[in-house]
Amino acid sequence: MRNKKQKWMLFLCAAMIGTLILSGCSQEKGADAETATATVAFPWSPSSLDPHGSDSWEVMRSGTGETLMKLDNELNTVPWLAEEWKREGAATWIFQLEENVTFHNGKSMDAASVKASLLRSIEKDAKAKDLLKIKAIETPAKNQLKIETTEPNAALPAHLADPSVIIGDVETLGKEDTYPALTGPFQIKQYQKDESLVVKRYEPYWGEKALLSEITIQFIPEGNTRLMALQSGDVDAAVDIPIDNIAVLEKNNQFQVMTAPSLRTHMMLFNFDSPLFKNKALRAAVDALIPRDEIVESVMKGKAAAAIGPFPELLPFSQGEEGKAASSFAALMKNEGWQKNEEAFWEKNGSMLEVNMLTFPQRPELTVMAEIIQSRLLENGVKLNLRQVENIDEALVKEKWDVAMYSMLTAHTGDPQYFLNLFYRSDSGSNPSHYASPALDGLIGQLNGTDNKDKRNELARDIQKIINNDLPQSFIVHPETVFALKKGMTGFSPHPIEYYYITAQMNMTRE
Amino acid sequence: MKNIVRFGFERVVQLMLVVFFVSSLTFWLLRLAPGDPAYLLLSAHNIPVSNEALTNLREELGLTDSLASQYVNWLQDAFTWQWGTSYVSREPVINELLHRLPATLELAGAGLLVMVLVTFLMGMATAFYSSGWLNKIGRGAALLGSSIPSFWLGFLLIYLCSVQLGWLPSMGRGTLAHLVLPALTLGLGLGSVYARVLRSNLLEAMDQPFVQAAKARGLSKRRILLFHILKHAFLPVVTMIGTSFAFMIGGSMIIESIFSWPGLGKYIIEAINKRDYPVIQGYVVLTSFLFVLIHIVVDILYRLVDPRMRVQ
Repeated sequence: MRNKKQKWMLFLCAAMIGTLILSGCSQEKGADAETATATVAFPWSPSSLDPHGSDSWEVMRSGTGETLMKLDNELNTVPWLAEEWKREGAATWIFQLEENVTFHNGKSMDAASVKASLLRSIEKDAKAKDLLKIKAIETPAKNQLKIETTEPNAALPAHLADPSVIIGDVETLGKEDTYPALTGPFQIKQYQKDESLVVKRYEPYWGEKALLSEITIQFIPEGNTRLMALQSGDVDAAVDIPIDNIAVLEKNNQFQVMTAPSLRTHMMLFNFDSPLFKNKALRAAVDALIPRDEIVESVMKGKAAAAIGPFPELLPFSQGEEGKAASSFAALMKNEGWQKNEEAFWEKNGSMLEVNMLTFPQRPELTVMAEIIQSRLLENGVKLNLRQVENIDEALVKEKWDVAMYSMLTAHTGDPQYFLNLFYRSDSGSNPSHYASPALDGLIGQLNGTDNKDKRNELARDIQKIINNDLPQSFIVHPETVFALKKGMTGFSPHPIEYYYITAQMNMTRE
Repeated sequence: MKNIVRFGFERVVQLMLVVFFVSSLTFWLLRLAPGDPAYLLLSAHNIPVSNEALTNLREELGLTDSLASQYVNWLQDAFTWQWGTSYVSREPVINELLHRLPATLELAGAGLLVMVLVTFLMGMATAFYSSGWLNKIGRGAALLGSSIPSFWLGFLLIYLCSVQLGWLPSMGRGTLAHLVLPALTLGLGLGSVYARVLRSNLLEAMDQPFVQAAKARGLSKRRILLFHILKHAFLPVVTMIGTSFAFMIGGSMIIESIFSWPGLGKYIIEAINKRDYPVIQGYVVLTSFLFVLIHIVVDILYRLVDPRMRVQ
């Protein structure tokens, strides 16, 4: 009797397991393009879903938000929610908006709603205010926007591609009881703070419909965990893979590693207030010693490009200068009156050449680069004292230093104007080298008022010629962005602009 | 009973004083430490920041007020259980912390369970087979437990159980399976160390006269072990477990970061990186409150369990 009962139980268990396996298989095979889903791992997690504020990049990365303009793969400013635009006067612009665009709550997007959204973004985000310099916005027609700026701002179309000015229905933004209604190909389905964001296809989307029905974004800040989440199959793709781990994935044919040049520049700042580096010859001598190619290979494992200027070479206005120092380091030093002492260190008027360098822990690769530079200088008779500080920006203002490692996103809207104004103008508070050049200030002023693209590129190149000649910084490398994907994922690839990640073209085919 | 009430009252006063001093100390240390929250917020993506934007944000966040005035505001907020608003999310700090507290308590509770199980099972087994191979394993485990850093153990467990074997999720929170690896990482190390403490307490208790007396009265081995030896040897371990639980609530930052566990520890690391002063201060008040509260509970438990304490 007991054996019979056990047999029945066994049969029932086997049947249940079999049903579960079969239902799992049928679900997997049945997942066509209409119902396909994917999971991706991002290192960043938004503190809120408000697109106007410090989380705008994370919202843009989720594929839910759109701006009036966007940047294409060649970093040209192209239409997005605004189908065309023209400049009417020195500081007046007209934008014609796309028709048939609806927010995720079904409301139509028109000039009035875009105006409300732009005004909210400059009220909530100081960066948006700096980028747009808006004086007034008018709505001459249902789908036409007239923007007047406080001063000539030729980069306005490019700056309207910045995520800080994502267009949304202001009635739904910053509310606790509803998710933001934006205009992207995906709409927010579920948000769990610090954990995940689930977005689903927005069916009435005005453009090309999304291929995936749903995407789950897992927030995984730790690089090694992101890698192992991908290896274990918990996620289908991971962004910002630590460079040291790339080789592990490249050996496995289940994964593909994709890279794209970024618009970031790792650099070494010279302090113009330092008695040593006021001297241009000394800046040039130290710059010539930086082994950029060696740093690309050994520190960045080949996932970077040696920098020859502030902007990466993929930008049309990039202007570099290779092999700046024609003479040897020793010859340059001797020309400046330095002599080697008994310990083979350079000295002048009895005092040894000793350089104080700052670095910071948030970008560990910069400290490794600093050590390489330190060793190279030591080989050439220069003592470099390396000090790591917790907050580099505060240390640059409050402490004594000669050189410092630094990293900047130099053209985050594909345009040089914003960076050049804030990083190089003599009256800017964000000019860490304390570098001042009236000629450069004049050219930057001209750039701000020029809207002809070729002319702007030419001006930007002229500005870089002055920078490369005066050497307020030594540009070291432009790192690449690294993504790793499971086989079968398409349309998800790194872009030089660090906020275009999830797009309508993203798809996942499972075997 | 009267003694217990008085004892409880004294501890509550102590708790208030500790929280006040800890939070005041945190306020001043934070302000002395380098870091400008306004700059960190505006330069989140390594994009230059204008002076005007910086000045406006500093004013908006109240960072341009004198330190004394900021301190008075903070005290007012703290005593009214408000704790201000997060610089980053612009949400009330109390909401931000309470939103993440359940995840931390869940992880700490599971970690404590693992720790207690390991302590008891390994401690008792190695005490009763004190000269065999089990003892050697216990000694080795204690050595490993005290010397392996938790971040390394965490990665090792993910690699073995998720990447190689595919048994458990590598990160996140949701199901019971998600809890296994972080709880093991949190509890294994401490459990194997406390097992050695319990073992030595048990061995010491076995030689006590009351055990000889129990044997002489003809009590069974199991009864002597469970109701006499273990009760006696377990008391010091209660204190350790209490301290460990408080430590797990306040100090599981690394484990939460490794496993992307959405608790207080992971949140506070982000708050420290962004110099979100109201959140850091609120966190310190909350964790010091919980820390002292757990110690009070342990003290009360100790008095209830150990008659000698009540006599004193």
